[in-house]
Amino acid sequence: MYQLTGVTKRYRKGHRTIPAVTAVDLTIGDGEWLAIQGRTGHGKTTLLNLLGGLDRPTEGTVELAGTDLGALPETQLTHLRAQSIGFIFQTFNLIPTLTAAENVEAALIPLGSGQPERRVRVAAALHAVGLADRAAHLPIELSGGQQQRVAIARALVKDPTVVLADEPAGNLDEDTRDDIIVLLERLWRERRLTLVLVTHDTAIARRAQRVAVMTDGHLTTGQDSPNP
Amino acid sequence: MFFTTYLGRELRRRMHQAIFVALGLALGVGLVVTVAAASAGVTKAEAGVLAALYGVGTDVTVTGPALPARTPAAPGNGTSIQAGPAGYEICRDGRCESAAGHSVQLLDPQYSPAPSADVAAVARLREVSAAAGGLLLSDTAVTFPPSSGQAGGAAPPSAGFFSVDGADTGHLALGPFSAARIISGHSFTAADAGADVAVVDSGYAASHGLTAGSAITIGTVRFTIIGIVAQPQSGGSPPDVYIPLAAAQELQLADGSAGTGNVNMIYVTAASAAGIPTVSKELSKLLPHTTVTTAATLASQVTGSVAGAAELASDLGRWLAVLVLIAAVAVACLLTMAAVTRRAAEFGTLKALGWRTCRIIAQVLGESVATGIAGAAAGVGLGFAGAAIITTLAPTLSATVPGPSAAFAQAAGQVAPPAPGSTAPHLVAVPLHPSITAGVIVLAVILAVAGGLLAGAFGSWRIARLRPAGALSRVA
Repeated sequence: MYQLTGVTKRYRKGHRTIPAVTAVDLTIGDGEWLAIQGRTGHGKTTLLNLLGGLDRPTEGTVELAGTDLGALPETQLTHLRAQSIGFIFQTFNLIPTLTAAENVEAALIPLGSGQPERRVRVAAALHAVGLADRAAHLPIELSGGQQQRVAIARALVKDPTVVLADEPAGNLDEDTRDDIIVLLERLWRERRLTLVLVTHDTAIARRAQRVAVMTDGHLTTGQDSPNP
Repeated sequence: MFFTTYLGRELRRRMHQAIFVALGLALGVGLVVTVAAASAGVTKAEAGVLAALYGVGTDVTVTGPALPARTPAAPGNGTSIQAGPAGYEICRDGRCESAAGHSVQLLDPQYSPAPSADVAAVARLREVSAAAGGLLLSDTAVTFPPSSGQAGGAAPPSAGFFSVDGADTGHLALGPFSAARIISGHSFTAADAGADVAVVDSGYAASHGLTAGSAITIGTVRFTIIGIVAQPQSGGSPPDVYIPLAAAQELQLADGSAGTGNVNMIYVTAASAAGIPTVSKELSKLLPHTTVTTAATLASQVTGSVAGAAELASDLGRWLAVLVLIAAVAVACLLTMAAVTRRAAEFGTLKALGWRTCRIIAQVLGESVATGIAGAAAGVGLGFAGAAIITTLAPTLSATVPGPSAAFAQAAGQVAPPAPGSTAPHLVAVPLHPSITAGVIVLAVILAVAGGLLAGAFGSWRIARLRPAGALSRVA
């Protein structure tokens, strides 16, 4: 699914140049669950952004199904994200003025499908995460765990091939965290998604098929990675 | 559906800000509407003053030089009043007699005569769509008491005065008669072209007990009154009596002559408003010894508070409205940009979901336009309220309008004190009625929506520059 070759991302801050990701080579197979572990500020989220086309590498290539994301024009990149990539954020990132159903529906708007079809798919997505009875609730009326479930439904409603999750349980209590990870795991298996999950939690990382570790912008994979 | 749902929810979330921006736009728009209405009202008031002076459909007037002080007629000609050692004498065609106990009616033109052929020449000019001649006369009746001329200080003679307009019955849309409204009897018809019939101004009729069907003597001729007319309230000094031009031209003047074939006013309608200066120039070339007056030059002679109000509305009022509107739009722009900054993470999320930048911009623009429309509606309401306040509270304006010719004034004043209204320019009350036209309402809506769009454009510029990763990091 993914092929990263020599990927480097540097940021300019005034006169300084800050390397966030350095010379990353990575291959992620179709349907694989990869956990990227590491301490805060070591480049995990930056790598996830590069995988999702939310940012472009300074050097190297990020290929998704053979397409170099860094070379795509913005409109095509946006279209690719709309169709193929689902995002789950640590802070849920739900739109506060929209209900749970409308937040999930927002992911289908770029696809141009009609309202009847959208309604059916939204209902199915919320049902899949166990929130069919909360469709009309605003985010402020939902618990943290429920909000993250809505975010998961939003990520999956368009049947993506890739789901990128950035600390999906980071803002949740222990019990809810486990519920969310169990839900993600189930959906990953049922839908044969390619799942890349960023976490600083070793227990969560161990549930993945493979663990990679980011340290100071460098990525190491498998048994070679030191525990953070 | 999703678009409007999202839009409505966002406006509700930022209700206070939306109301604040809408009110700001409403204030600016309301001021624009009020000032435009007041300006239109003042223009209408001024136009009413001018219309009463020279008629509604007249763009340009041509007059000969004002006549010099009437010298006593040459012996044997006409009627005159002379002062002798035994008192005043009335001389008619060379024969004089004591004026004591007698009345005399003197008919004089207000301006120098010109041949009717000049009217035809004017009508043939390029850019002239119509021309008509008029003959403005003044009828002065002087009455001498029986004791006039006796030793011991006799009572002075008394004078009555009224103005007469010989109107072209084939061109009643030109000249002072065009602004008149029949309130009793009927107006002139084509058959009245040379008849001894008259239409009298309502003010003069009321003060002299005249009605349709009664009679009035002009010079020495008796005219039947066929109608009573009212001139606009804001009028200057409209004629007291209107008679057909041909009848006026047959009247014997005080100097023994008649105005046969003559006019002393030419009223001209230009083919277009833009052509008025050209017409004015061509008339000056065609008739070099005349005075060519347009509404603009006449307006400059009208002074008083109506002129001051016109300046106030067009200068201070307009600039104040523009400044307030600019300030309102500036505040709307700043608030929209601030809101976009606060919602950066939200927009970053939408971009991550695959929303195109133009789609997000359309959402923000929609919110701004909706606020602009609300501001427009409130602004129009404020404008109507402002116009109503002006109508209720504004004092009646006044206009000082030019009076009749000095020559006439001197003629009337030779033997008696000047007749009322016959000498100096005089003051007329001009009520102010602000008027809001559909065009002003449309302008107000456009201004407010444009203000909203401009504010949305500033916000959109920020959105277009947002990088998804950078926007999302603001949450983290």
